[in-house]
Amino acid sequence: MNRSKKTHLHLLAVSTFLLFSQSAFAAKVTLDPSSWGLEDGKACVECHSKSSAGLTHQWKNSAHAQANVNCLDCHQAYEDDPDAMEHEGSVIATIVSPKDCGRCHTTELKQQQGSVHTKAVSVIKNRMPALAEHFGSLSINDAGCAKCHGSEVIVKGDGTLDPSTWPNSGIGRINPDGSKGSCSACHGRHEFSKAQAREPAACTYCHSGSDSPDKSIYETSKHGMMYEAHKSKMNMDSDSWVAGKDYSAAPTCVSCHMGAAGKMKSTHDVGMRDSWNLNEAVSTKQYLVIFEDGEKRELSSSDPIPRKGESITKMDGSMGKVKAVASPKRRRSAMAKTCLECHSKNFANNALKQFDEVVELYNEKYGKPAQNIMQALYSENLLTPLPFDEPLEISYWNLWHKGGTRARHGAAMGSPSNTWKGIADVGELFYGKFLVQVKEVAGKDKGEALIKKYINESEHHNWLNSPNKANPILGYGKGISNED
Amino acid sequence: MKINDLLPDFITRHVLFALVFGGVCGIGFILFLIEFDHYTSTEEFCTTCHSMELAAKPYRKSTHYNPKSGVRASCGDCHVSEGVISATWDHVMGSKDLYNQIFGPSYDDPIINALHLPEAAFSARKWFKKRNSATCKRCHVKQAINGDRPDTLQIHLEDAKDKSCVECHYNIVHRKIPDEKVFKQDKWNAMIEEEFGLEKGSADKLLGH
Repeated sequence: MNRSKKTHLHLLAVSTFLLFSQSAFAAKVTLDPSSWGLEDGKACVECHSKSSAGLTHQWKNSAHAQANVNCLDCHQAYEDDPDAMEHEGSVIATIVSPKDCGRCHTTELKQQQGSVHTKAVSVIKNRMPALAEHFGSLSINDAGCAKCHGSEVIVKGDGTLDPSTWPNSGIGRINPDGSKGSCSACHGRHEFSKAQAREPAACTYCHSGSDSPDKSIYETSKHGMMYEAHKSKMNMDSDSWVAGKDYSAAPTCVSCHMGAAGKMKSTHDVGMRDSWNLNEAVSTKQYLVIFEDGEKRELSSSDPIPRKGESITKMDGSMGKVKAVASPKRRRSAMAKTCLECHSKNFANNALKQFDEVVELYNEKYGKPAQNIMQALYSENLLTPLPFDEPLEISYWNLWHKGGTRARHGAAMGSPSNTWKGIADVGELFYGKFLVQVKEVAGKDKGEALIKKYINESEHHNWLNSPNKANPILGYGKGISNED
Repeated sequence: MKINDLLPDFITRHVLFALVFGGVCGIGFILFLIEFDHYTSTEEFCTTCHSMELAAKPYRKSTHYNPKSGVRASCGDCHVSEGVISATWDHVMGSKDLYNQIFGPSYDDPIINALHLPEAAFSARKWFKKRNSATCKRCHVKQAINGDRPDTLQIHLEDAKDKSCVECHYNIVHRKIPDEKVFKQDKWNAMIEEEFGLEKGSADKLLGH
């Protein structure tokens, strides 16, 4: 009885969530075909098939070419557009923004414009300069950070695009027309293939390396292993791509984070199904706030949860009226729904429980104590507010941002080796460096007091209180001792 | 037999003298115009005005100044028409620039110059378009454009068949300026203000708006 009640609640939660998502897989363009295929655009193709044959060749293989969509349909601009330029008699713009794509792909635009991907610039705007400029320079920002996060494209007074901000296909790019993101971040120019965007590589182009080690995590997960072995059976080119119906060999990143599965519709709002924030020093479960204009933002479960109709700040700092709020539980059930196409409910729920427990372990054992110690040192002016000028700050950063991220993402996506490596990296840093540096910064007495307060009295670090408990792992008792 | 017997009666000695003298003067005048047009078409002459020196700076970095072929185009090669009559006409019309140089805004000031540059570019582009890029064609022949790409010649013969050079090729010698259709004065002004470290909005004042 209790169980069936729970199931009903569960279904209610999911169906309410689906109402919010309003998405449809393989959304068809509803615009009348007479809206594209501009006559002047045919001359573009003629000349560009000679002047840039590769680019035109890609387009010729695209669904756009088949549907008679030509260069000018996407690149056309109005004279007063900030980045408009004259080119061979036509007024065009180099950058085709999501807003331009959205002239036809309305559903995708609506989903994408609210997604966490479009916040990729604003989410790190305040903290990015510290990393980019302290460890590199602005050129690192332009050629590194902004290539994934996106640049704020600057159109110079002479009509040219500032070379430090363009070329750029970062996922959160701020376009001259004010729209955010770049469709070509995933759908590479000029074929804009669905199949290509469904490949893990479309995501791991950015989600790889120590900051976001998802490439190595996926590759060393069961999902990635199956994908590698059964690539040819993925049916990637299929128009409809519903897990369990159109393919079943393996899920790619898209399958779980955006894809259609059973009753779950596909969406270009990536991140909607993520209930945890795994990219902070301490993970929190997160609400998804949906504003009346379609914008979205996330709120930690520790923040006050806004009510419908209330006005709160959006990610860009402006105010917005709340239309709906999706709880972390709802978001989780949306994710779990995708699992059920291939796994039993118990299997899926237990796997997700194992993931949750790693996040909680990381939070309690390392994330929170390290954060508390850092705050204590900052508030007592034992550390300067400037980030990364003290070795302890670098250790702290690596602790949560590198090892901590790897462990949590590893657990989320089922890579045992990365889960372990991540947490092992955190442990090594924490015990081997961080705590030592705390004592250096705070002085022996104060340092030890802080460590006692946040570490020694925590059950997670109890093992430190039994120094005589021997274990053969380091060969204790073996070999030649000094006395021999 | 006297030379007078061969000529009609109304050609008196005076008339003859006037004709010969007039002819020689005429030839002299034309020769003078040719020399004048040549001299006033040189970079050396044009840059005697400081404002033109500002226009020449980017030119000296362009491929028209430093071509692989070694054929250097000087100011007049592009900006003065072929033929003594047209060339003279262009110089006469060009004298209004001289008037403006003396009595107009202080074009010698790099800031004023940069702010007014788009106007100059737009009028120069119109000049080229009206003449079907005639001065470009002094050197460039569509049928002989073999570029780095295999299809460059084909593009010129097929896709650009009905176009004159300047319709596609502008912003290749002087400072880059957008086409008039998409030009935004406020953005241009803001760029110049930033470039010269001026206060925001000061460009408008300098332009007398």
